[in-house]
Amino acid sequence: MNTKPTKPTSSLTGLRKLLPFLKVERGNLAWAALFILVTSTINLGAPFVFGYAVDNFIAKGDYPGVLVTVGVMLAAYLISLGTQYSQMWFMGGVGQRVLFRLRSLIFGKLQQLSIAFFNRQKAGDLISRINNDTDKLNQFFAETLVRFVGTIVIMAGTSIFLLSLNVKLGLAAMAPAVVLLAYTRLLSPWVKSRTAASLKAMGGLSGEVQESLDHFKVIVAFDRRDYFRKQFEIANETNYRAALRAGVANASYSPVYDFASSFAQLIVVVYGLFLISHGAMTIGLLLSFLLYINQFYGPLRQIAMLWQSFQTALAAWDRISEILEQDPGMGKTKAKAQASSAVLEFRGVSFRYSDSGDVLKDISFALERGKTYALVGPTGGGKTTTASLMARLYDPTEGAVLLGGRDLRSYSNEERTKKIGFILQEPFLFSGTVLDNIFYGNTEYAKASHEEKVNALKENRLDGLMARFSEGVDTPVQAGAETISLGQRQLIAFMRAVLRKPELLILDEATANIDTVTEQSLEEVLRQLPEETTRVIIAHRLNTIESADGIFFVNGGKIEGAGSLQQAVDMLMHGKRQS
Amino acid sequence: MKSAKPAKEKPKNSVFSLIPRYKGFLVGLLGLAILSNALNLAIPKLVANGIDAFGKGTYDLIGFGLPFLGVMFGVLLAAYALAILQAFTAERVARDIRRDVADKISRQTFSYVQTTTPSKLLTNLTSDVDAVKTFVSMATVTLISSVFLILGACALLLSTNLKLGLAVVLIVPLIGGTFFVVFRRVGPLFKQAQEVVDRLNKTINESILGAALIRVLNAGKEEDVKFAEVNTQAKNVGISILRMFASMIPLITFLASAATLTILGFGGHLVIAGEMTVGQLAAFNSYVAILIFPIIMIGFMSSLIGRAAASYARIAEVLDAPAAAEGGEEIATLRGDIEMKDVSILVGEKAILKDVSFALSAGTRTAIIGPTAAGKTQLLYALTGLITPTKGVVLYDQRPVTVYDPQSLHSQLGLVFQDSIIFNLTLRENISFGQDISPEYFEKAMETAELSDFVHTLPDGLDTLVSERGTSLSGGQKQRLMLARALALNPKILLLDDFTARVDTNTEHRILANVRKNYPNLTLVSVTQKIASVEDYDRIILLMEGEVLAQGTHAELMSRSPEYVQIFESQRSTNRYEHQAD
Repeated sequence: MNTKPTKPTSSLTGLRKLLPFLKVERGNLAWAALFILVTSTINLGAPFVFGYAVDNFIAKGDYPGVLVTVGVMLAAYLISLGTQYSQMWFMGGVGQRVLFRLRSLIFGKLQQLSIAFFNRQKAGDLISRINNDTDKLNQFFAETLVRFVGTIVIMAGTSIFLLSLNVKLGLAAMAPAVVLLAYTRLLSPWVKSRTAASLKAMGGLSGEVQESLDHFKVIVAFDRRDYFRKQFEIANETNYRAALRAGVANASYSPVYDFASSFAQLIVVVYGLFLISHGAMTIGLLLSFLLYINQFYGPLRQIAMLWQSFQTALAAWDRISEILEQDPGMGKTKAKAQASSAVLEFRGVSFRYSDSGDVLKDISFALERGKTYALVGPTGGGKTTTASLMARLYDPTEGAVLLGGRDLRSYSNEERTKKIGFILQEPFLFSGTVLDNIFYGNTEYAKASHEEKVNALKENRLDGLMARFSEGVDTPVQAGAETISLGQRQLIAFMRAVLRKPELLILDEATANIDTVTEQSLEEVLRQLPEETTRVIIAHRLNTIESADGIFFVNGGKIEGAGSLQQAVDMLMHGKRQS
Repeated sequence: MKSAKPAKEKPKNSVFSLIPRYKGFLVGLLGLAILSNALNLAIPKLVANGIDAFGKGTYDLIGFGLPFLGVMFGVLLAAYALAILQAFTAERVARDIRRDVADKISRQTFSYVQTTTPSKLLTNLTSDVDAVKTFVSMATVTLISSVFLILGACALLLSTNLKLGLAVVLIVPLIGGTFFVVFRRVGPLFKQAQEVVDRLNKTINESILGAALIRVLNAGKEEDVKFAEVNTQAKNVGISILRMFASMIPLITFLASAATLTILGFGGHLVIAGEMTVGQLAAFNSYVAILIFPIIMIGFMSSLIGRAAASYARIAEVLDAPAAAEGGEEIATLRGDIEMKDVSILVGEKAILKDVSFALSAGTRTAIIGPTAAGKTQLLYALTGLITPTKGVVLYDQRPVTVYDPQSLHSQLGLVFQDSIIFNLTLRENISFGQDISPEYFEKAMETAELSDFVHTLPDGLDTLVSERGTSLSGGQKQRLMLARALALNPKILLLDDFTARVDTNTEHRILANVRKNYPNLTLVSVTQKIASVEDYDRIILLMEGEVLAQGTHAELMSRSPEYVQIFESQRSTNRYEHQAD
């Protein structure tokens, strides 16, 4: 991320951040807790009953008594069968639903972020955050949390037993646990930062894979397969090191927890025998104490494992939070309408991308309703930037873009996108069919049937273009795949924009890769748009801009009006190139 | 689901096939596991000894405490070493598998990556590998030591009392059966779960790559709906898996508890009948505890194993896929003759190219013209070997493309793609693209593509980092960068795919003139829309719906091909402007 990394959260605040996700699940969690309580009670009680039966029935030869005990225990075990199932079901369900909501939340956030954010990110790293990192949270919620609650219940129960048997010995036995707590708190930030580094390396690896695979044809055509291997090897090695460091850090919990457990036994035996020799305790009591100490430290060992998973979850959460805390940056502002007859107007607009100098400097011009305008100029002159500002893919650094006399920033996304159609230079298709892609994002036809959509194409005289697709409207599309040519993608983008009937239609080299014969039919379609539609065309092919009412020459941060096509051509041919 | 296969089809490589490869690690892991377990078992013994000694009055603090402390530290060291070795093994496995998979992918054809989809390959390299690494480092050791513990406990049980022992040991096959049944059913679910991850990846990926379009159309809601659907699928698969484990684990716990009941009921009977002592009964109970613990551990590991098996099957699909055909070995300097003989390309039933034949001599210039989706790009791809023709051959200097060493061939073949493909590297790295390009060739390429002036305006010059979907470059600049990348090879043959579409007329003319001047002997094949700029070419090939409709010089086609004339007419009105540049 280019933004300042958020401060790594401590365990406690981290837990607090995750709490809102659990809030809605309160009911389910309560049920789960109840079932856990029942299961744990049965588990804790069974050895008691067993011992009781041995002492009172078997030793005395009372077989019917034994059978009754077997019956009672069987009943208890059957109950536990049900409650254990329920506790897993409830807790696991909580995990799955929390994960579901978390993923939705991040994805929803991604949809709000400005385009500038995406230009800074590698797709692979973002995917890694949404998938790998939420999966780490999932492991915590779905698997760890279930056991966490169970272990806490057993530990709490046992500690009550320990203290009620003998307060002094109980406290002494639990002392190592307090040391463990301190140890864990001390170590956690270190473990977590190493885990975070490992997750980051994983994101880097994903980014590398994503880029190489998306650009695989260049790798093949230039026979740079070794390049892919080399780049991957670097990312793989970095990831290996980071993961190993994280693994070693994580390994520092479990053995120490085992050690504490043994140490507690040592304390119990030594201190217990001391107490016995002073007549403060009996051997029998010491034996039960040793049993319970295992009941107490056994779960604690599990907690060590859970703690690892918790730290990983927190590190993952930090990475996810970085996205969730991003400022969408393109808010809606209030603005008064200003008198303007123009459909679109630039008033003193300057713009620069975060990493460069001014692309546009103090630009002012106005477009009238129903006219066709052409933007011409050398490559890198700022034509696409100008168009992007019109569609508010970016906000001007200074000045304002007015749509119908109102600041573009004061329109809601819905209003703005309804009024402005923008055919992007690099057409993108989603997986689906050609028809899906043509009607993508079109709310007017959201509920239309396949047939209605096909009819809509006919009404708008677009059906003829379908001959350009091997299976017509139903031709399958795979994102990024080569089955659909660039020209075809441009055709789809064109149809998509036209069907939305915008007030202002911007075509950014929208037909650059379409053959000139087909292009003529597109021009026909453009001519048939409602009279009040304003068109802005960016093109290199002069025939596409021939019929423009006004021509703007864009270069070197300036936009100048050209009187005629001839003048524009002169500017193009002889004008100073400043790009 | 596209890749759903019948469940009975077993993958050739099971995840267990990895075990021999990491023998050394596993032996070490097992050794340390046994050591730490054995030392752990010594602790109760020491406690018992201490208490016994106290009873006999021979207890002394040092005599009890020192060995105890010794064992404790021994356990600490062994357990720590085990944990570290486990981390080390896990990451080694992950690194190795990732390397193998990436190596395999790097040897694949372009169409393999396209059809398998990058999203699936990404899942293979990330979450699938993660599942497998935990299997090797943790599950195997737990499994093996658990089996030993179970066998040992069984032996102890049977030797203490055969009848009761048999009754209790009966539980083991029952538990085994439960595992078996559940695993048979959960296996396909794990596979589904990973497939859902592929789909999640794909949806996220598309929403990121299509971010600009989504914002222009305000289609965020639509994306949310799409994502919600996949996300729900993910949740449902997760819950199905959960249901299996929520049933299995309590069932196994119950079966284990049944062992306790057997001891109480049947053992109690034996004690009352005088066939057993109460002490033996107590011993039985503690042995069962030893028996149950590893069974529970296997239970915990089972979800891990299930996931790993499904993931490894997916990885094995990639590893076992036939690699792209190895190229020939001949390293030759090409003159630049190109020929296509009866080349057809079929995708499914549909022919993209139909019996395309032409022969171009070295140093000539050829244009390929035709409507959208005529197969022009595919023709270029077939020339470069990105697509293998279904039928027919591609010849360079009258010899089939397959006889040449691919690296030597590709270093003489420059291809400029229609869409801009920019790596997240510096400008210099993007142009030289990882190879050693001589400074002379590099400079010549930069100048020819008219990039030098632009680069000088950048504060960091050639070291400027350009990004995947970078804003810093305009469409035309990206296109020129792609040209420079191809020219930097100092190629014998240059293939341009609609290069001029994104470059203004003035620049286009200058660049093409530069190419002629700086690379005089180049064989040029240019896919284009504009007739004006190729009128003087040696040959123009008119391609329509995958077929060569006509070929010849501009004058020949004007007199022979009505389709060509139609295209020409569609451009004529502006020709007068275009010609001013000459």
